Amino acid sequence: MRRAVAPGFALALPAWIWLAAFFVAPVGVVFWYSFGYKPGLFGTHANDVLSLDRYAEVLTPTFFDTFANTLWVGVLGTALCFVVGAPIAYWMALKAPARVKGLLIALVMVPFWTNFLVRTIGWLILLSPEGWLSSLLQDLGFEPLGVLQTRSAVLLGVVYNYLPLMILPLFVAFDRVGDVVREASSDLGGTPLRTFARVTFPLARPGIIVGVLLVYIPLMGDYLTAVVLGGAKGNMVGQMLASQFQTAQNWALGSAMAIMLVLMIVLSIVALGALARLIAIPVRARYRVDLMEEVA
Amino acid sequence: MSDQQPIRILAERSAVPGVLRSLSRRQLLSMTAIAAGGLLLAACSDGGRPSPGAVARPTGGPLEDQLSIYSWADYDDPALLSAFTSASGPKIIVDSFGSNPELVAKLTAAKGTSGYDVVVPSSNYIPQMAANGLLMKLNKELLPNLAHMDTQFAVESDPDSEYAICKAWGTTGFVYDTTVINRELKTWGDFMDAAANEASGKTSVLDDPGELPGIYFWANGIQWETNDEEHLAAAEDYLVNTLAKHVSVFDSNPANGTIPQSTAVLIQAWNGSARQGIMASSTPEKWRWVLGAPNTEIFMDTWAVSATAPHPEASHAFINFMLKPESQLANVAYMGSHTGGAGIEELARAEGLPYLDMIFYTPEQVATMQPSTTTEGIARRVDIYNKMKAAASA
Amino acid sequence: MTAREMARSTGVPAAASAARPGPAVHRHRTPIRHRLLLAWSLVGFAFLFAPIVVIVAYSFNTGRLLVSFEDFGIESYLALFQKQVLSDAVSVSLRAAGLSSLIASGLGTLAGIALARRPGGWTVWFVGILLLVAVTPSIVGAVALLPWFVFLGQDLGFGVFNDGIARLTIGSSLFSVAVVAYLVRARLIGMQANLEEAAADLYSTPLRTLRRVTLPLAMPAILSGFLLSFTFSLDDTIVAAFVQVSGTTPWPVYVLSALRSGLRPEIAALSTGMLLLTLFALLVVAIILKRAGDSTADIAKTMAGGS
Repeated sequence: MRRAVAPGFALALPAWIWLAAFFVAPVGVVFWYSFGYKPGLFGTHANDVLSLDRYAEVLTPTFFDTFANTLWVGVLGTALCFVVGAPIAYWMALKAPARVKGLLIALVMVPFWTNFLVRTIGWLILLSPEGWLSSLLQDLGFEPLGVLQTRSAVLLGVVYNYLPLMILPLFVAFDRVGDVVREASSDLGGTPLRTFARVTFPLARPGIIVGVLLVYIPLMGDYLTAVVLGGAKGNMVGQMLASQFQTAQNWALGSAMAIMLVLMIVLSIVALGALARLIAIPVRARYRVDLMEEVA
Repeated sequence: MSDQQPIRILAERSAVPGVLRSLSRRQLLSMTAIAAGGLLLAACSDGGRPSPGAVARPTGGPLEDQLSIYSWADYDDPALLSAFTSASGPKIIVDSFGSNPELVAKLTAAKGTSGYDVVVPSSNYIPQMAANGLLMKLNKELLPNLAHMDTQFAVESDPDSEYAICKAWGTTGFVYDTTVINRELKTWGDFMDAAANEASGKTSVLDDPGELPGIYFWANGIQWETNDEEHLAAAEDYLVNTLAKHVSVFDSNPANGTIPQSTAVLIQAWNGSARQGIMASSTPEKWRWVLGAPNTEIFMDTWAVSATAPHPEASHAFINFMLKPESQLANVAYMGSHTGGAGIEELARAEGLPYLDMIFYTPEQVATMQPSTTTEGIARRVDIYNKMKAAASA
Repeated sequence: MTAREMARSTGVPAAASAARPGPAVHRHRTPIRHRLLLAWSLVGFAFLFAPIVVIVAYSFNTGRLLVSFEDFGIESYLALFQKQVLSDAVSVSLRAAGLSSLIASGLGTLAGIALARRPGGWTVWFVGILLLVAVTPSIVGAVALLPWFVFLGQDLGFGVFNDGIARLTIGSSLFSVAVVAYLVRARLIGMQANLEEAAADLYSTPLRTLRRVTLPLAMPAILSGFLLSFTFSLDDTIVAAFVQVSGTTPWPVYVLSALRSGLRPEIAALSTGMLLLTLFALLVVAIILKRAGDSTADIAKTMAGGS
């Protein structure tokens, strides 16, 4: 019935052009740089001789150690965000009184409007060995706080900064499930746990995936959050990559690192997704339920 | 399948929520108006910025309304900056870098669009930065206060101050918390020992690819600017396999938190920020400063102007202002380094500034300090630095 | 069709149920579980706000360093009036964020409509690009954009790319385009095209249909996309640190620089001021939406990006 006057992609064309000009082209240039080399102290890159040498340089233990650390922070940080954020989102969407939902959402957003570095500085003050919390603990006979510049501090900073990004999509996901289906399950004799495992969780799954990705991807490239609270323990691939551009001026090597980082992120998502499916197979086999069958 | 129908209808109804109704065109319009205002503001803001590359040599004409300084962290007394603004007009913006390579990288990468005017490179970088067209030739007619400088502190490679004037010179040592480390530390060897023992996991080192291998070289009597691969490999082995696991933070400005907040107990630092940190501490008596021994570095940071400075007149006026003896004294008091002015030590002593022994050094002490002269071997040092950071995070 | 598939295809099932007043029907059966959830959430909100409360408290620090509290006073607030640099940085950030979220909303909305209503062979490629934008961490975008801007501005002579605001705007718009496109597409896919088809049957021109039917349908998604873009852009530090031009230093980069050189209480004072303004703005938005007859649950969903 539609009266198409323009090809389908016409409306998408402006976005297409914009992204091509400011994403595809520059990232393409970085890809091109990655086959070049650094010509001298003040030169940043040269491409007259092309090689894969920069990739060989990247694939050294230094990169893998740093990447392993980044992956550790990324996976554990995302998991912790989920563990902390999911019950909150669940409560907000399904248990909190409807009239305060708007307020709650606003409250989740408000920290976002204070710059994330400033928020992290708030933790820095709170956790300082010479801060009031530490002196309070000392008055009570404990050791001064020694959390800063440890791995725990890295995780704290990461979970804190990315928690809203987890809560918001999960809220939407749980909210979409709504009460009706869950009440149906409950009315049909489903225990709360069964209702959650067989109805709420599967229905909210797309939102959960969005939340996990929304936290995981930026986290893998972030190098500021971790370093502010974690010091030397917060060294991330992003930092190494940035230092090739900001300090060493080796654009060729930095570009190769950038390409590898994106590749590694995609690979780790695929691997984690596969892992999640693998785990899901036995679980599903055990709990296989078709809501509609039960309803029927 | 017929059970699905009711739920489906629910969904259809919910798809036309009140939000839709509420979002009147008026509200949308007002949002657009706000955004359009932003556009307008943005359009206005870029007027008056001279296009990079077309910078005229300053002649002493009227000052521009802005000045952008790219310098080491917290390197000038903020009171001096506001005094300059109120006396002469230009609004000052300060950005900071943590190492010379970072400064050079910023200027070269931006090809003249960085927007920086006054920059503060270390003296060993001057020849190559000038040769690569990153610095502007100074117009000394606009810098009469150059007369107040002590000529022995002129930049070695640029004795006539064509490009650079001494801004501050200093050295590297370390600070330790005497309530945790109960013995006396005197040398870099002691530093290395304490880092592996009492201060393990509580050691802060400079976030600079140069000074990190310096620890090893100075402790072992090796010239710290060596490019001998054997020495570099030995330094790398020590830093990556031994020191890294004891390091809790890489911090070029421990005055900002590491010392006053006691987040580390053994801290490699430049003398100026060590002094600032101790002065900012609520328990200054527990900290002890040690000048690196048997050898350490001497560095000189310089006033220079970016070749593509958008505000060259203001740059010159500012440098001239900072060369005034009163300004130099205020800066010595604030950032704790010798500014290279004639008679500045006497002035500071007469003023009775605290911790003078951290600012001024005897000729015997200066004799143990090795200057930085070359910029070769930076790539190798950055490589070591990255490896050490990777090892420290494991 | 399973319930899940149905939920996916309709996109917005049972949203109306959330708007229903009153507690869940079965609450009385499991009070402990619910109380635990409530307690967890309260702790979670306390966690979210703890450092912000600290920042507000420390904004009254008269000491030189923000982190060491000396005395209580309002000097830091007075200093805001003297240090124009701080408010300049905030205004740069606001301008860049406003422009970038506007661009992202415009481009993303059109793309989302096209994706939802005119899928075809091109969709695979376009979705591929959007996905690539989404999985590319900002540090990679940052290192790619700086040389690109320098190339466009200096080598090709397009002066606009030497401008700080333009660079910041473009830099933070890319991820947002993908977000808005995703939200708008999700919203429209959730609703069948029969309204648009009806409009077309009634001889509405395509442009008119777009303006009168499709856009209003997509509006909640567009709005939440705009809000999200604005928020992301305001907080965008990594890209900004690379592409910024000194003189148009945005607020996050100012804070980043201060983190290294010395955090002053003024930073906390300005943050507190911004926080108050934000809360005020939220209040105004809430009141306007409420006047317009919206239920809070709908407002919530608008803000959360739900549709």
